[in-house]
Amino acid sequence: MNRDRRQLVLMLAPYLAGLALLVLLPATATMTMAFTHTDLIATSEFIGLDNFAELARDPAVHAAVGNSLSYLAYSVPLRLVLAVGLALLLHRRTRGAGTARAAVLLPGAVPELAYGLMWLWLLNPLQGPVNQLLLLGGENGRTMFGTLPPQWLTDPEDARAGIVLMSLFTIGETFVIVLTARLALPPEAYEIAELEGARAGQVLRRVTLPLLAPVLAVLVLRDTVASLQASFIPALVVTNGGPPPYATTYLSLVIYQEAFEYLRYGYAAAVAALTLILTVMAVLIQWRLLRRWAYHGLAGMGTHRLWG
Amino acid sequence: MTAGLILRGVHLTRGTIPALRGIDLTVARGELLVVLGPSGAGKSSLLRAVAGLDRITAGTVAIGGRDVTALRPGQRNVSMVFQSYSLLPHLTVADNIAFGHRIRGADRRAAADRAAAAAASVGCADLLARRPHQLSGGERQRVALARALVREPDVFLLDEPLAHLDAALRTSMRTEIRAVHDRLGTTTVHVTHDQSEAMALGDRIAVLRDGRIEQLGTPDEVWHRPRTRYVASFVGAPGMNLLPADGPLRPPGTAAGAELGVRPEHVTVIAAGSTTDGAIGEVERVEVLGEDALVHLRLGAHAVVARVPARTRPAPGDRVTVHVADEHLHAFDAITGERIPLPAEAATR
Repeated sequence: MNRDRRQLVLMLAPYLAGLALLVLLPATATMTMAFTHTDLIATSEFIGLDNFAELARDPAVHAAVGNSLSYLAYSVPLRLVLAVGLALLLHRRTRGAGTARAAVLLPGAVPELAYGLMWLWLLNPLQGPVNQLLLLGGENGRTMFGTLPPQWLTDPEDARAGIVLMSLFTIGETFVIVLTARLALPPEAYEIAELEGARAGQVLRRVTLPLLAPVLAVLVLRDTVASLQASFIPALVVTNGGPPPYATTYLSLVIYQEAFEYLRYGYAAAVAALTLILTVMAVLIQWRLLRRWAYHGLAGMGTHRLWG
Repeated sequence: MTAGLILRGVHLTRGTIPALRGIDLTVARGELLVVLGPSGAGKSSLLRAVAGLDRITAGTVAIGGRDVTALRPGQRNVSMVFQSYSLLPHLTVADNIAFGHRIRGADRRAAADRAAAAAASVGCADLLARRPHQLSGGERQRVALARALVREPDVFLLDEPLAHLDAALRTSMRTEIRAVHDRLGTTTVHVTHDQSEAMALGDRIAVLRDGRIEQLGTPDEVWHRPRTRYVASFVGAPGMNLLPADGPLRPPGTAAGAELGVRPEHVTVIAAGSTTDGAIGEVERVEVLGEDALVHLRLGAHAVVARVPARTRPAPGDRVTVHVADEHLHAFDAITGERIPLPAEAATR
């Protein structure tokens, strides 16, 4: 082993130790637990694939897989579009841009539980500000669009939409990354487009988005992984998995309920394993789709300095 | 015949700092004008004012007889090559060159054909399928040149395109820029801080200082008859030696309070004692540059540099006689820096 490698290993060691102790070890324990019956009262016993067989028949898990995937399908793209839109809107140093940036960041700074409780009030069908707002300009208890106001806490569709809606305000981190990436793009790229007489739409499509592509690809992957867990707190606090039977029961909530409400740790571990498999599959599929798109931008970004 | 480019009373302010303070400039159609100056002189501002990338605060810009002052960059039909980042990293060379035509709605096939033709004209046809990060610095600027050419612009603006290339490549690329210009005859404004590049490339040179044009003339005029002390010391490597008129060199007929200039190339160094004509000095340092050597001399209180053939160079510590022919002397007003005609000069005129 040469000097550089030894130094590399030494520098990585603290992180690797933490990773092993805090992530890999519990993960292995969980995966092992998935093949056992564990309730922390009786001694745990090995039951083979029984947990997985039950999981395949469990209507709560079926609903949770569907709900989690639908949450992912709506939340991830909407969050990204919103964050990119705001970042491109606010990257210039104009009056109020600083305040607006802070406003985008702020919801992410609210503790998750408080955020959930706040939305419980916001989404209240009668007194909640969201519905009060929607009712403005409407007549006879209908919204301004002439529809009945959404029943966020009692209608299954509306409840799921409510959970997605909640996720759209905690985009601070994504926003900051896109903002920074946009600010790092060479002004000459925009001047080339300006000299050719490109319109705003063309600049967005042919310059900004391709140059940001590598960053956006990473953000999509990251948000996908996070989204399978992010639905947990809102579902617990705001809707508690309901309206019944399982309208907002997500995989993360099933794991929590099985483990900490029903003390079925083995079964919860099996659901966790299923979540892991789904996450890996989602990431692999996306990576295959994004790879070509992101690669050249990435390679190009890497040479910006050489380019100068 | 209308001029290729006319600037009248152009002022440009960056933030609160004036970058251009009244530029009047006419570039003939098909001329290659080099704008020369140190960093901060306003060279890039001048180009950006022509391109419309920066809004001018006063004055007018006309391209090919058309007043473009109020037009956006895209409507001016100018092309620009930047010092760096002249290409879009996510596009192939072919797509980079075709970019402008595609923006303006040309169909893919037509744009690709024109891109290929432009690439061939600057000798980078073999690079069409590559991406910018797979190109060397010289190749990148060659492609940037093709990207700028493909538009058939009215004015071609080059913002220090060679600054990031190594010395050998810089020399060969400047020859090529000149060749491309001669072939296409497009009005060109080339910005550089490299005086040898300016001399080699330009039909005329505009020497810029603090947002004003200090001198506008052919390379010969700028070299032989610098209009100000500043131009004299900026053009040439090393620049002109400047000495007070009552110093060691005293030509006949110079007013007191003037400053005398002499290019290192025109300082003759002779072993002391062989002649009485000239000033006595001492050699402090000698830099050999291959064929030539720069001899740093001390004449009393004054430092003078001479460029002499390396074969006949003196050694440090030698006492030498320094001689300058009267016709090689320049005089400048010590206060305004303006050129003062000398009797010798008036005679040769």
